Amino acid sequence: MEYGYWIKTKPAYSNLSWVKNATRHIVLAEGAGGLAIIRMYQEQPPAQPVSVHYVVTDQDRHYAQAIIKVMQVGSLHIHTSVDEAIAILGTELSSAYMGLRLYLAGSEHMMWQAAKTAYEHGLSYQEMQLEQAGTLARPVYCVHCKAITPHATTNIAACAGCGKMLFVRDHFSRQLGAYMGFMIDAENPGDLPEIAEVYP
Amino acid sequence: MNDIAFKQETFRDDYTYSNSVEAIKRFPFPFPEDNYMYSVNIEPHTKGAIGSVFEFDLDIDEHYVAECKDKLITLTQDPGRYAALPHMMDAQWDFLELVMESLSRDYPELFTLKKDGKRWTWTNRPLATQDSFVFGDASTLPMEPFKYIGLQTQGDFVLMDQRDGDLFADAGIITSQADWSLAFDVGMSFKQWHAPVPHAHEMGIFDRALKYLLHLQAGQPVRRLNWTMTVNPRLDTSPESYPQWGPDRNTVTLENIGGKLHLRVELQALFRLPRSNGIVFSIRCYLISLEEIATNPVWAKRMHRVLKGVHADLAEYKGLTKFRETAIEWLAKFDDGV
Amino acid sequence: MSQNAMNKIQVIVSAIHQVTPLVKQFVLTKADGGNLPTFSGGSHIVVSLNIHGRIHRNPYSLMSSPDALDSYQIGVRRQEQSRGGSVFMHDQVQVGTPLEVSYPVNLFALHRLARKHLLIAGGIGITPFLSQLHDLKRNGSPYELHYAYRAPEHAAFTQHIKTLAGDDAHFYAESRGQTLGLAGLLRAQPLGTHVYVCGPTGMVNAVTDIAQSLGWPPGNIHSEQFLAPPIGSPISLRLAQSELEITVPPEMSILEAMEAAGVDAPYLCRGGACGRCELEVLEHDGELLHYDHFLSDAEKYAGKKIMPCVSRAKCEKLVLNI
Repeated sequence: MEYGYWIKTKPAYSNLSWVKNATRHIVLAEGAGGLAIIRMYQEQPPAQPVSVHYVVTDQDRHYAQAIIKVMQVGSLHIHTSVDEAIAILGTELSSAYMGLRLYLAGSEHMMWQAAKTAYEHGLSYQEMQLEQAGTLARPVYCVHCKAITPHATTNIAACAGCGKMLFVRDHFSRQLGAYMGFMIDAENPGDLPEIAEVYP
Repeated sequence: MNDIAFKQETFRDDYTYSNSVEAIKRFPFPFPEDNYMYSVNIEPHTKGAIGSVFEFDLDIDEHYVAECKDKLITLTQDPGRYAALPHMMDAQWDFLELVMESLSRDYPELFTLKKDGKRWTWTNRPLATQDSFVFGDASTLPMEPFKYIGLQTQGDFVLMDQRDGDLFADAGIITSQADWSLAFDVGMSFKQWHAPVPHAHEMGIFDRALKYLLHLQAGQPVRRLNWTMTVNPRLDTSPESYPQWGPDRNTVTLENIGGKLHLRVELQALFRLPRSNGIVFSIRCYLISLEEIATNPVWAKRMHRVLKGVHADLAEYKGLTKFRETAIEWLAKFDDGV
Repeated sequence: MSQNAMNKIQVIVSAIHQVTPLVKQFVLTKADGGNLPTFSGGSHIVVSLNIHGRIHRNPYSLMSSPDALDSYQIGVRRQEQSRGGSVFMHDQVQVGTPLEVSYPVNLFALHRLARKHLLIAGGIGITPFLSQLHDLKRNGSPYELHYAYRAPEHAAFTQHIKTLAGDDAHFYAESRGQTLGLAGLLRAQPLGTHVYVCGPTGMVNAVTDIAQSLGWPPGNIHSEQFLAPPIGSPISLRLAQSELEITVPPEMSILEAMEAAGVDAPYLCRGGACGRCELEVLEHDGELLHYDHFLSDAEKYAGKKIMPCVSRAKCEKLVLNI
């Protein structure tokens, strides 16, 4: 929270659920986002073609087995890195037709990187669903050096690019897939407010 | 009004900027009442009083040459102050046409536009440049049209694309902003980029403003005024350069505030762009020091009362907190309480 | 100039072409010479017609090139069951007739993020696509035009379309059994395609329904329909702010009746699509008849708002906040 009021660009996420009139579904999840895949398949597997991409992380290996068991239909790809999964996603999208829906579950950084790739392939935000899972860590864009620090868990975080201590605002850009960060001690260098882990 | 004496002055480092008596007289003082509160406050951008900042669609004043110079410095140091998404080329040409036609029509001694079919020749006497190009063919200009003509106008500009029942800030040349980042905001929808403004959203101001702007018609532009305050006559008060101008807020004292603290007024105008069906949002920045304000007793008194009454959240958002009390103290001598 | 009035341009009809048995093309030039204002593809102008002393304002799509500004060209289909605007255009307007038109307004714009534009036209609905073709070609945007009509003799501007669009245009004559397979067409479009439909209500509904059933998001489906204000029963209208009592006759819309009484009422599209004319309903003792496409179902049901350009009421008294 900043300045005592809430900024309206902060995205609101929701639980993933199959879109009934879609003609094809692609799911991309990482780590604890695997739960979303399991839940969706337990609700009702869709009648249309599905491809699921799951990125295993060290702390969530056990989801992979559960996903394999629950997926009676659809193709499953297990990935070891987000970059690899997003690259494969791009390939699938480049030959896709209207009617497709994309479902993302995981950290904000991963989801918005995937959303950006999808957007570049012609998908609109109306055709994507995002479910935040596993962490509230925020990707932060530094207005000074323009680098993105992928997983900030504190209200003030060091920029991965230039080292400045950035205040992590609620103001969010979908195009960059990151929250705005600016140097909190610019007026009085070294004079930092209390740093707290607010996005664990 | 066309024989303007262009000033040589700086908006950074030694800050030699100042207003002539004429410039003070025509300054767009934005407070019609002692209390300031948000409203949509849009009015038709029709031809105003002769010599006023509202006389023409785009206003050129004695600071023109110095501002263009400052704009170029900012853009060279940080190219991210200019952005144009790929689908905005039609809007870029719309904007170039609007600027060239307005300036050549309203300031014929300063600017000339000659058209021979699609071959245009643009002469800018204050900046001593002349270019011939083919309208619609960006390869015939030294740089893309929005940047080319944006560098020859005072003020910031945002080109908005109208789609999905909304407006998107898909191009901008932003070097004199009051603390917002084009590089961060480019591509955002109307309510997204206005999100940081406190209280206005609950009041429904941006819903109404958006609805109004979606129906903005060609030939019927609108305008409004916005304001904040800046330490030193600095145009580039961007988040990007905050480490450079932020510390200046600590340097204000009762002794120097009269010359240091400036009222910063934005004359914002919105024009429908015909070929692209977009909208251009022009943000023309005017700076005046407290001392210069004080040469007008009515303004000095009102400025005092506005600063006393402004809501704490709004003061915080506008960055006034550190010097507000000192400014109120300095201005108090001009307010007789009547 | 009043707050709500649209800018007006004085034009002269400089040529009329009988394009099909039912369609006439009117070429309009600026009365005082010079170029007309430029516009974006899909725009329309609102033409004011003085029919027996009453002003009718009809929207017509601009079918000319946004680059050829010495004239505007509009196509008008003769509708017998109408309030007389198209019949007046066909029978009374001649070469040399002066007309008053609005600046161009665009409620059917091409979407700038579309990676492909799928244009579907029915009958006279072809007109807005003709100006759009120029913009699409200028920007090198991928597109397809599918034009369906009753019979070849009712197909307007086909040669013009073939010249502009070449193989990107496809034609379907109902009389020859040629049908546009909407499902197959919509299923085969790449991501980022936007579909635009202009034509009879049945066609617009079919394209919209089928596209949505095939998973197209609503934001990728665009349509234009110029709803003619329907004829209804007379309305006793009271305007609260203006303190006027007006009777709205059956063949006039509420908006037109207010204008005839000298009220400066806001409007833009005059076809129930844009929302600009929306007024607050203070009181009514019967039933509001919403014929617009702007208000949500909830808003229509709540009965607190009305679009006076096309909607009506069945009641003894209607009070509006203007």
